Amino acid sequence: MSTALQALVGPFVEFPFMRRALVATWALSLGSAPIGCLLVLRRMSLVGDAMAHAVLPGAAAGFLLAGLSLPAMSLGGFIAALAVALAAGFVTRHTPQREDASFAAFYLIALALGVLLVSLRGSQMDLMHMLFGSVLAVDDAALLQIAVVASITLWALALLYRPLVLESFDPGFLRSVGGPGAAVHMALLVLLVANLVSAFQAMGTLMAVGLMMLPATAARFWVAGLPAMAAVAVTIGAASGTLGLLLSYHAELPSGPCIVLVCGAAYVLSVLFGARDGVLSRHLRKPVHLSR
Amino acid sequence: MTLASSFTSAVRLHDLTVAYRGHPAVHHLSGAFVAGAMTAVVGPNGAGKSTLLGALGGALRGYEGRIERDAALRIAYLPQASALDRSFPVRVFEVVAMGLWAHIGNFGTLRSTEHARVDEALAAVGLTGFGQRLLGELSAGQAQRVLFARVLVQDAELILLDEPFNAIDARTTADLLALLHRWKHESRTVIAVLHDLEQVRANFEHTLLLARKPVAWGPTAQVLDAAHLFKARQMAEAWDETAAPCERAA
Amino acid sequence: MSLNQPMTCINRRSLIRAAALTALPAWTALPLRAQTQPTGAAPQIVASFSIVADMVREIAPAALEVSALVGPDADAHVFAPTPAHGKRLAQAGLVVVNGLGFEGWIDRLIKVSGYGGAVVEASRGIAPLHGGHHGIDPHAWQDLSLARRYVANLRDGLAERWPQHQAELNDRSAAYLERLATLDRQVREQLGAIPRAQRRVITSHDAFGYYAAAYDVDFFAPQGWSTHSEPSAAAVARLIRQIKRDGVRALFVENISDPRLIQRIAQEAGARVGGTLYSDALSAAGGPADTYLKLFEHNTRVLVAGLTAPQTRAR
Repeated sequence: MSTALQALVGPFVEFPFMRRALVATWALSLGSAPIGCLLVLRRMSLVGDAMAHAVLPGAAAGFLLAGLSLPAMSLGGFIAALAVALAAGFVTRHTPQREDASFAAFYLIALALGVLLVSLRGSQMDLMHMLFGSVLAVDDAALLQIAVVASITLWALALLYRPLVLESFDPGFLRSVGGPGAAVHMALLVLLVANLVSAFQAMGTLMAVGLMMLPATAARFWVAGLPAMAAVAVTIGAASGTLGLLLSYHAELPSGPCIVLVCGAAYVLSVLFGARDGVLSRHLRKPVHLSR
Repeated sequence: MTLASSFTSAVRLHDLTVAYRGHPAVHHLSGAFVAGAMTAVVGPNGAGKSTLLGALGGALRGYEGRIERDAALRIAYLPQASALDRSFPVRVFEVVAMGLWAHIGNFGTLRSTEHARVDEALAAVGLTGFGQRLLGELSAGQAQRVLFARVLVQDAELILLDEPFNAIDARTTADLLALLHRWKHESRTVIAVLHDLEQVRANFEHTLLLARKPVAWGPTAQVLDAAHLFKARQMAEAWDETAAPCERAA
Repeated sequence: MSLNQPMTCINRRSLIRAAALTALPAWTALPLRAQTQPTGAAPQIVASFSIVADMVREIAPAALEVSALVGPDADAHVFAPTPAHGKRLAQAGLVVVNGLGFEGWIDRLIKVSGYGGAVVEASRGIAPLHGGHHGIDPHAWQDLSLARRYVANLRDGLAERWPQHQAELNDRSAAYLERLATLDRQVREQLGAIPRAQRRVITSHDAFGYYAAAYDVDFFAPQGWSTHSEPSAAAVARLIRQIKRDGVRALFVENISDPRLIQRIAQEAGARVGGTLYSDALSAAGGPADTYLKLFEHNTRVLVAGLTAPQTRAR
């Protein structure tokens, strides 16, 4: 028993970098998973990956202006991602086009622009490699950044819960009663970009998007109702992060992909055995009309 | 066109032209909706009925002409069913409570009086006990009852319904029609877009027959005669989708 | 061709076919052959990479121009030759390479370019250490005493090609060798001042085998991980333990690995992160290591600084 406990807890006790990685993963789950739930419900599930590419022109512009300065590139990346998100949101609000299409259009424009800007300098340097971090390398600054963004996100979501749900569920109704549909929509996009960009820098794109979307897609197979879904998603994310780090430690696997794959396993299990609409759980449960 | 000028009007239209996707959908409509009465809006497909309701309900902002009504008039607007995302994980109680948005805004909590109003509304549409069910679990008829409950809770003086009984079972339709009559009894103005002319004849005392341009507007029996209906069909066939917006008044 | 035919017949036919095909690129280079000696232009020495090019520059008379295929700050291991490089080779008066398998691409490039002249191997005669990708460590220039051999080989190779410059080559080489000898003494002095047990560093590039052997410094590789892929938590933990256990004092960052991760590891293990070590190429002009001598001085200075800093407390 104690060796099992040692295996589970030991790495975190012995190594500060493991503790930081754990806390960073939990903080990321806390902030991102609820946003992921909203994205899933609004049919914007692929937007996270699009955002990873949308940061490029901003980072490239920062690089061209200020050289290999991480703050300049990070700020540029954030602005670029925000521009893409807000442009897509604007198009969605003012034309019949839906968000998945408008996001696709703008992120591709941003990506091409970024590639062009990078080629102007002619450097072999991989900008994105510089910009995106790794969960094992989380330092104090990155940890603080994630924690702050997570706190602000949770606070903002709690505050804007009602108009957010309304805007997602029945935007026409909200408009007819004069509600702040546009403001709330834009607020969601800003939160999305803030979460993603800070997570990119701290832990890389795979983990950022993975922890945002996978737990959210899995949660739907256990509960309904947005608050419950968010809570389940956060739990799945935090648990996957913990398990993934332990796996990376004991089984010699790269940490980022490991964590995301554990999330993925959770998703597959949810699809199969989830209490709500799981593929196999229907067969496992005794049919109601045959019981008694 | 007859104008019921001797009755009070809830909404008066002056040369209203509303465009939809760049094409005029409502042409130069003038007239008045009688206050406290039930008016049906009928016409061929594409006649601009939903567009008209959208403009009246504040969902469509760009139009020419004037919509004259009391500024303090509380309006409830129920768009066509397809505009909603029924699979969104929201509970019946929450949907109905949305109707109280005007009172509690973004951040207010529901007091017990308001809670009771939601329960009453659910009872009025025959959905007592459905509060915690997910909207996505309900049938089309039940979901429509929920939306009507929301309208009830809004306590509006002007109620706009866009094809409220589309693809709804007969039982629900009958129950909801009863609700409409109750609203009329409470002196609320009801304007509804409908397709079933028998339903209109049986329940609505006023009708606006629209084929982008107004064909007839007044007491139902007069409006829904064969001549008017034929003329409406003729006008529908003559619609030119590529014509530029016309400048002069009808 | 049926399977019943004797093996020799098949081999010969396919051999002839293969030879014809491989010779094709050489045929396309035929027109270039005519231009191997452009009249009036200064004779070009083409070196494979920047360090060897610098050595040649030091000893070659001004009449000869030197260029490098793999320039400063570039990685010879991932060098992808282009037709322009082939053209330069074709017009070269002499080609100089490191040898010891460092330039895996050079033979094919020479053949394709149609260059028919001599190829000087700078490391000829040096008994190599084990290491590197093919079992032989090619980074012999990291030992100043071996660099003397380089200079001698280069001098002899240039003199054979341009006998008229023999005298000048001898003079310049002698002067250069003198400077190498002086630097060698200085490096030994500086490193000797550090206690042997403290002379332990970790660097991610396995290019310092000769330096380690010559100057008695332990260069550890991070155990069990490649800088190009994302490390596992186990690898990070192992490295931290290794640093603590072996008393490694300094980590040296390559610009290809994740600098933040190196910082984290160094901080946690109580080691220092040193500056950049230049292993396979000179820095760009104006940089801290734009000649071979400066490269050596810089590396040694950075190593000494990393090794003599007070050991930080592990965090």
